[in-house]
Amino acid sequence: MTMAGLRTIIALSFVLAIGFLLVILSSALWQNYLPLLVVATYVVAPIPNWLCGRAATSDDFGAESHGVVDFGRWLTGFLVVMGMALPAMFAHCALISYPAMVMSITGGLLIYGTIITFTMFFQEDPDF
Amino acid sequence: MSGSRLFRFPKPQWLNSANARTTGVYLSGALFSLGFFFFVDAASYSKSARNGSVYHVTFVDWIPGICSSLGMLVINSIDKSRLSADSFSYSGNSVAWKARLVLFLGFALLAGGLAGSVTVLVLKYVVKEVGFPTLWFGVANVIANALIMMSSAILWVAQNMEDEYTYNLAL
Repeated sequence: MTMAGLRTIIALSFVLAIGFLLVILSSALWQNYLPLLVVATYVVAPIPNWLCGRAATSDDFGAESHGVVDFGRWLTGFLVVMGMALPAMFAHCALISYPAMVMSITGGLLIYGTIITFTMFFQEDPDF
Repeated sequence: MSGSRLFRFPKPQWLNSANARTTGVYLSGALFSLGFFFFVDAASYSKSARNGSVYHVTFVDWIPGICSSLGMLVINSIDKSRLSADSFSYSGNSVAWKARLVLFLGFALLAGGLAGSVTVLVLKYVVKEVGFPTLWFGVANVIANALIMMSSAILWVAQNMEDEYTYNLAL
């Protein structure tokens, strides 16, 4: 069990490194550092869920708590799509090239997938 | 509950699960983001080097999007249970009437946003008979407003779903 967990963490860190590599290459190869915004977006994306989840635990059965949690989820959905829409927009407006767009979207999705998987692993820990 | 049902087909059971509600909220945010970035794409394309025409996205193009977003905010910030509050005796001061008025304003803003985007498309771009890279400014505006409308509809359905879910739990 611990070995499997350790292997998963090592694999996840490799995936995270590949994601960062792709995003940094996509900006450094063309000396145009706009795709780095994708990393910022995907790092910020899980934060509304955490904050609103904390805000809602104070009253579980109140009517307002559902609104706050829903707002956090809505914001997360917004930010995840923003991470894909930003490079596409930059490429369409000739701010970055199309290969840079593909690399930064792929890298961003890898980074976000890693973050989500890590939170799932760490959220399961307190149950035991 | 089944006695007060209006339609012949019952609502499918999976619509009442908490998972479907969560998915609806995420989907709504994703659709809003997609619509917003369709329009931001048009706006930054008009500023970019690729725009060879004399047409630009100005504040007029932003007005429908602002109306739609305001309408979405108004519609989804109303407490849904207040809409039928008049049928209960404990709520005085005609809360339901006010809620319905504000809701009507919200829907009017949303529909006005969509209609306004079509107006901008026709009056600013189609009538002048511009070609496609420029026509995209108007088309993206319509797409953005339609997506915002769809997003707020999904959010509305998802929140109503939640009410039904808690109702089933209470019984």
